[in-house]
Amino acid sequence: MKGQEWYQADDVAREYDSKRFSKGGRLIDHREKQAVLSALGPVEGKNVLEIACGTGRFTVMLAERGADVVGLDISAAMMAQGRQKARSAGVGDRIEFIRGDAARLPFPDDHFDAVMAMRFFHLADTPAKFLAEMRRVSKKQVFFDTFNSFSTRVVYNWLLPMGSHLYSRADVERLLAGAGLQLADESHDFILPYGLYRKIPNGIAGELRELDETIRDNEYGEKLSSVSYWNAEVL
Amino acid sequence: MKESLMDILCDPLDKSDLELEVDERDDDEILEGRLIGTETGEVYPIEDGIPNLLPPDMRDD
Repeated sequence: MKGQEWYQADDVAREYDSKRFSKGGRLIDHREKQAVLSALGPVEGKNVLEIACGTGRFTVMLAERGADVVGLDISAAMMAQGRQKARSAGVGDRIEFIRGDAARLPFPDDHFDAVMAMRFFHLADTPAKFLAEMRRVSKKQVFFDTFNSFSTRVVYNWLLPMGSHLYSRADVERLLAGAGLQLADESHDFILPYGLYRKIPNGIAGELRELDETIRDNEYGEKLSSVSYWNAEVL
Repeated sequence: MKESLMDILCDPLDKSDLELEVDERDDDEILEGRLIGTETGEVYPIEDGIPNLLPPDMRDD
C-alpha cells in the first residue's frame, strides 16, 4: 500500500495511537508533547494551527490547556479518531478539524498566533512550499521537527511504510531563510531511533532512554541526535 | 464544524470567501453540508462535522 493510502485507511487510523505510542513509544509521546509545550509557552487564549494533526495528540493537549486549536490533516479517518478524543477530553468546543492541503491552506494571512507541525516534514516532498504557507498564516511563531541525516535514523528508514526525508542543519537553515523565518530556539534528541523504542517494553525503554539522554547531553549530542525541534519567529 | 469557523475559512484556491449551506446540524455543530467558493464556484463538502477543503485535484471522491 502506498504511503498516503496507508495513512488514510480506517484500520490504520484506529490502531495508530496504540501501535505507536504504547510500550517504549510512550517516552516518545511524552518528549514530543514536552517539546511542543516548551516551544509554545502558555497557550491559554491563543489561536493555534496544527498541520498534519493526525489523531489529535497535540491538538487535544493544547485545547486542554486553553488554546483554540484548528487541526488540519489530509486523512478523514485520522481526524475521526481526533474528534472522539477531543469529545472524551471535553474540549470538543475548542477544536476544529479540517481536511486540507498543507500547501494551500484555507486561511487568511497572519491569522494564527502559532502554527506547528510535528512529524510532518519527513513526509514532505516540497518542504519549502509547506513552510512558506505555514509562515503566511502565522502572526508570530512556526514550530516543527525534522528527522536528521547523519543519525541512526538512516539505519531503519527504509523499513517505514511512508518514505522519510532527512534534513541537515544547513537544509533547515535554508528553508527558514527562504520562508522569511528566523530561528528562535532549537533542541535535539533521540540518539536512538523511534523505531527501537516502539518495539521494546516500558522498563527497558526507560533504561535505554536514560542512556540516550546521557549521550545527548555530551558535546556530540546534537550531531548524533535523530530528531530536532525548531522554533522559529516570523520576520 | 461550528458556524463561527466561517470567520476564518477561505477558499484554498484563491483565498476568497466561502458560502455555507447546511444539511444537518446538532446544536451549533454543522455535521453535513457544503462550502461554496464565491469566486471559484468550487464545492467543498462537510462530512461528519469535518469540512473537506482539499483542492479538487487532491480529492479522490
